[in-house]
Amino acid sequence: MDFRRQLSAELPVLRRFARALTGDPALADDLVQDCLERAMLKTHLYDPSRPLRAWLFTMLRNLHISGMRRSSRATVVKTVDDLIDGEGSVPPEQENRLAAGSVSEALNRLSSQHREVIVLVGLEEMSYRDVSEILGVPVGTIMSRLSRAREQMRQLLEDRGHTGLRRVK
Amino acid sequence: MTNEHMNEWALHAYADGELSAEQRAEVEALMARDPEAARKVADWKRQRELLKAAFGGVLDEPVPQQLAAALRERTAPSRLSPWLAMVAAMLLLLFGGLGGWFLKGETAPTAVADLGQQALEAHSVFAVEVRHPVEVPGTEKAHLQAWLSKRVGTAFTVPDLSVQGYALLGGRLLSGDEGPAAMLMYEDKSGQRLSVLLTSPGSDIETALKVQESGKLIACTWQDGLLAVAVAGEMGRDPMLVLAKAVYEKLEG
Repeated sequence: MDFRRQLSAELPVLRRFARALTGDPALADDLVQDCLERAMLKTHLYDPSRPLRAWLFTMLRNLHISGMRRSSRATVVKTVDDLIDGEGSVPPEQENRLAAGSVSEALNRLSSQHREVIVLVGLEEMSYRDVSEILGVPVGTIMSRLSRAREQMRQLLEDRGHTGLRRVK
Repeated sequence: MTNEHMNEWALHAYADGELSAEQRAEVEALMARDPEAARKVADWKRQRELLKAAFGGVLDEPVPQQLAAALRERTAPSRLSPWLAMVAAMLLLLFGGLGGWFLKGETAPTAVADLGQQALEAHSVFAVEVRHPVEVPGTEKAHLQAWLSKRVGTAFTVPDLSVQGYALLGGRLLSGDEGPAAMLMYEDKSGQRLSVLLTSPGSDIETALKVQESGKLIACTWQDGLLAVAVAGEMGRDPMLVLAKAVYEKLEG
């Protein structure tokens, strides 16, 4: 299949990955654009025996890291007040959407190492092997990060339950 | 403690569909005995559902114009090739006098900087060897290429620099800071030697070219994709740039 068509097919998932990784829609699409341009320049480096998605994720994640190093433009971390204010105004019937919103807030509070692992495994459902290749660390490291990240997520979501979710019930 | 860890990992692997049917049955038995384990797995599944609910909407969004356009363009003219960036930087250097090295866009990883240093050192050690400058002679080019590609971990083509007047003497394997490094040695008619160091630092990036000088020696370094490259020799800046460009093009080619 034409390489650009393959890229095009991966585009929605690539955008979702970038969005979850950065928490910032504009920054996410900038990264996706850089990644696509890079992918088209580097087609000859792609090993077709490996999943295209993992290759693209690797490039996008590296671009994200070098971008953060360059500009030290970290993801926006909101204050607890913002979170509570934001929720207070949400009507109860939108509780599900609220839970979804709070999960992305919780994600933003994880360290970037924990966030990328949980996004790759928990959202994108990549295999441990692919995640290990994408992040360039052994599977054992992936598993300990995953374990810690999930425990932190649980605590963050629980805290949110006390401050936000229960209040609107 | 170790056992606890193993159990915990098995639970994650179970929740993430990494297990065989047999292993799944074992974990399910464990979960039946241990409500805490079952609660954890249920909790992670809920996290996944929440994540998918939070970001699933992106999948249905129409593709932004800028991304569709990026896919249409075959070449990305916005990005200078490392070589063009270097030419631009050389012009700046001639007219502006910028210090020794120049960068564009991406930061030059220290790996590349170190490779230049290693290339200078390796060149000063091996280029003076009259009888044993290489381990495998250039007459066995196919073997040399296969062997060094395998050890470095990234396949590459041994550049042919005959047009530039340099014949391949051969190559050797060195232990670089970033793992194995291939060293290729060339020689021109006057006996002037040129070495090319290749290594695979484990990242897939593109850097600008960098020039390092040490006494009479000069090294040109860059990374393009998986391969980091340094070209070193004892010569002036101008002939070195011509040779570095040739190596870059042959490797890219």
